[in-house]
Amino acid sequence: MISVSDLVVSYPRAARNAVDGVSFVAASGKLTALAGPNGSGKSTIVRALLGRADILRGLVAVEGSDVRSLSLTELARRVAVVPQREEAAFPTKVRDYVALGRYPHLGLWRTASAADETAITDALEQAGVKALADRDTDALSGGEWQRVRIARALAQKAPALVLDEPTTFLDVAHEMAIFELLSSLARSGLAVLLVSHQLNLVARFADTIVLLNEGRIATSGPPSDVMKADRLESIYGWPVVITHDPAVGAPALVPLRRPRTLSDR
Amino acid sequence: MLVAGIPLGGVSVLLFRRSLLVVPVLAVWACADSRAPSLGGNDDFGDPIRIGASPTRIVSLNPATTEILFTLGAGTRLIGRTKYDSWPDSAKLIPPLGDGIQPNVEAVLAVHPDLVILYASQDNRPAAGRFRAAGVNTLSLKVDHISDFRRSVLLLGAVLHDSARAKTVIDSVYRTLDRVRSATAHLTRPTVFWHIWDAPIITIGSGSFMNELVDIAGGKNVYADIAGPSAQVSLEDISRRDPEFILAGPIGKAQIASDPRWKIVRAARENRVFAVDTMVVARPSVRLGEAAVSLASLLHPGTLR
Amino acid sequence: MTRFRGWYWLFLIAALFAIVAIAVARGAVSVPLAAVFEALRGRGDPTVVAIVRDLRLPRVVLAALVGAGLAASGAALQGSLRNPLAEPYLLGVSGGAAVGAVIVFALGFTADFAVTLAAFVGSVAAVLLALAVSRVGARGQRADLRTLLVAGVIVGAFANAAIMVALAKAEPNTIRGALFWMMGSAADANWQRVGWLAASILVAGGALVYWAREIDVLSLGEETAASLGVNAEKSGRRVFLIAALLAAATVAVAGLVGFVGLVVPHIARRMGLRAHRPLVLAAALIGATLVVAADLAARTAAPPTELPLGAITALLGVPFFLVQLRRAA
Repeated sequence: MISVSDLVVSYPRAARNAVDGVSFVAASGKLTALAGPNGSGKSTIVRALLGRADILRGLVAVEGSDVRSLSLTELARRVAVVPQREEAAFPTKVRDYVALGRYPHLGLWRTASAADETAITDALEQAGVKALADRDTDALSGGEWQRVRIARALAQKAPALVLDEPTTFLDVAHEMAIFELLSSLARSGLAVLLVSHQLNLVARFADTIVLLNEGRIATSGPPSDVMKADRLESIYGWPVVITHDPAVGAPALVPLRRPRTLSDR
Repeated sequence: MLVAGIPLGGVSVLLFRRSLLVVPVLAVWACADSRAPSLGGNDDFGDPIRIGASPTRIVSLNPATTEILFTLGAGTRLIGRTKYDSWPDSAKLIPPLGDGIQPNVEAVLAVHPDLVILYASQDNRPAAGRFRAAGVNTLSLKVDHISDFRRSVLLLGAVLHDSARAKTVIDSVYRTLDRVRSATAHLTRPTVFWHIWDAPIITIGSGSFMNELVDIAGGKNVYADIAGPSAQVSLEDISRRDPEFILAGPIGKAQIASDPRWKIVRAARENRVFAVDTMVVARPSVRLGEAAVSLASLLHPGTLR
Repeated sequence: MTRFRGWYWLFLIAALFAIVAIAVARGAVSVPLAAVFEALRGRGDPTVVAIVRDLRLPRVVLAALVGAGLAASGAALQGSLRNPLAEPYLLGVSGGAAVGAVIVFALGFTADFAVTLAAFVGSVAAVLLALAVSRVGARGQRADLRTLLVAGVIVGAFANAAIMVALAKAEPNTIRGALFWMMGSAADANWQRVGWLAASILVAGGALVYWAREIDVLSLGEETAASLGVNAEKSGRRVFLIAALLAAATVAVAGLVGFVGLVVPHIARRMGLRAHRPLVLAAALIGATLVVAADLAARTAAPPTELPLGAITALLGVPFFLVQLRRAA
């Protein structure tokens, strides 16, 4: 479980706090989505979670421990993160790459034990990339690469999993496949926190949506509560309507073409 | 051999100033031109030699030619030299104008010379062109060998309208050289290793005037098979060639004595290392005779009276 | 990608031992192989014993250590700075060492230990300066590790400029000494130097091998590293410092031996190695082999002259690199 309470984060020389009094919980067994427009503070919360942004006030806790009181290794054992960007300098074998997820569990000599090997195999299996184990990371498609990255995070065997925009460059099929994977991971008991601006997909898969705007929570709750046209219009500054997924009934946002008469609103 | 206007006793190193790279080049100027002096012909860049009124404002950008000019009695007409010119003592009173290789053309032109003497190395070609374009009589000379010395003295004598004195200077130097040569000619010639630099070990090859000096002084350079003026060699190879004597500067002699690895060379082990005055043997110029005498007295003590 | 197989290790070790054996056996004085073995045990003609034990062996071992140190340093730097063009000499190590050497030459010291010490101090100073510059660049913010590379290049350029200015005003002997030193050579090997370098490599190289898993993590980038429990800034600086010290130790005893730190890690990668623990070790073996071979060529290619070692390593390294590139394409 990841709990954020009254979090305030600010960058040097910034006009306003990047995150300003945000509180929410990403519970175990649930898929929690952190959504909002660009610059709303989503990624900053992930940075604060990793100790890479200075927390001015409030608390980020993982499994009940304040992240500031944990060493990076202790933190890595509690929460696995798939960052938005990752540029590996040199390609490597998929299995070796996934094995790096065991780093926070390695002993003094940093050599892998049998338990580590099992965790790696499990992770490859869970993420559905077992068949890719002997491939090179630079020979993967975009969708495969994201799955392999998720496998690396799963190998950490942390109770919480955080993903920052994991489907940015993927086509529909791969995007759906990733969301299905995340949803099943949540059902298996992980606390999954997903940072995404894909509001429609999030509305279909997430148990809870935390919608941020300008560093504050605009609204949060189950998708049906969050996906309200008037609220989303004011957050995104764009006219929208909410329709419903014909198959499952999940709410979906459709941005409108803005009428010319409103163009100087 | 000149380096940035510095005589390096057979070791040539080029400094490329325009790049950040420092590129050392060994043994590039293997042999100098040993043509007979062709007065009124061309200098070592192939440019025509102009012999007009005797020059009165001379800039010499080569320590060897500075020495020659002083011996020809033209020292008072010198108005510029390189910062490395140090012989004779009165040369130090002449204003230094910087380097002899890629000289500062403006600084030289600013003193209004009527003759500029350059060392004829490739990287001085642009400077020679610029001096000529500015209308200054320019003479580019290689002074790497004993024959170059002779040719340079004759040329400078002609330019100064004092060929008689030039011949006297040459005669005096050559008479000394001949005296040393004939005194040692019938003697057994000891093999000699000339230690120029310590790390790495640099010696002279047959392309250096110092090799000629060793010959004249009745010795035999163990590295005469190297065609260039200088080369880097190994201790192992020196020990294999087993020279009877080692010639070195005072610093080099101390280095040989203090480094136990030199014990592998018999001459070092048996303490047959002579210190030579590096200032005397530094350049093929008017002190050649003196240099030959000093070497002969080291290799064949008591032979010269 | 090629699979790295277990027997490659045997091959790498055998290749190193073979080239070491050849290098000890070959030289200006031709010594029969049997006499070489006798001499190694201190028996036989005392001159041959001295040649083999006091000249060739320390020189070959020194060359091997220089190659191992530079290659291990390069492998660690490329991984941690995530840049395939990173190499120890790019980080101000060589520039700083040269400044140190030029200063002692200018002061008139030519003693071995003075030059060695000054070169070492110079390169360490340059590396610390690069670290400081990268901190200034980061303005207290968490910097991208690549700023370290930029900082190293800036310090190196500054050092080069300082050398040019110093040499422009210098005495002939200073220029000579500095230039010869910069050409790189293993010719000045003695057991004292070998011992000094071996100790440095054991400590710094061991540290790199120990932290090799951390380099693996660092090579994934700062954020991923953080998510795996590694403080990329702190850890990256640590690797940078150790790798630089390693290179500084080699530069101090042998001058500048170019291209090894850049090319050898790529050769090791082309053999199929990615994880940095085996990569650093294999690079060290390959680097040692390459520099011993280069030094052998420097001694024997153009008898009786010796060629500058740094030039040979580049001459050997560039074509090798091109072949590798071609095969990769």
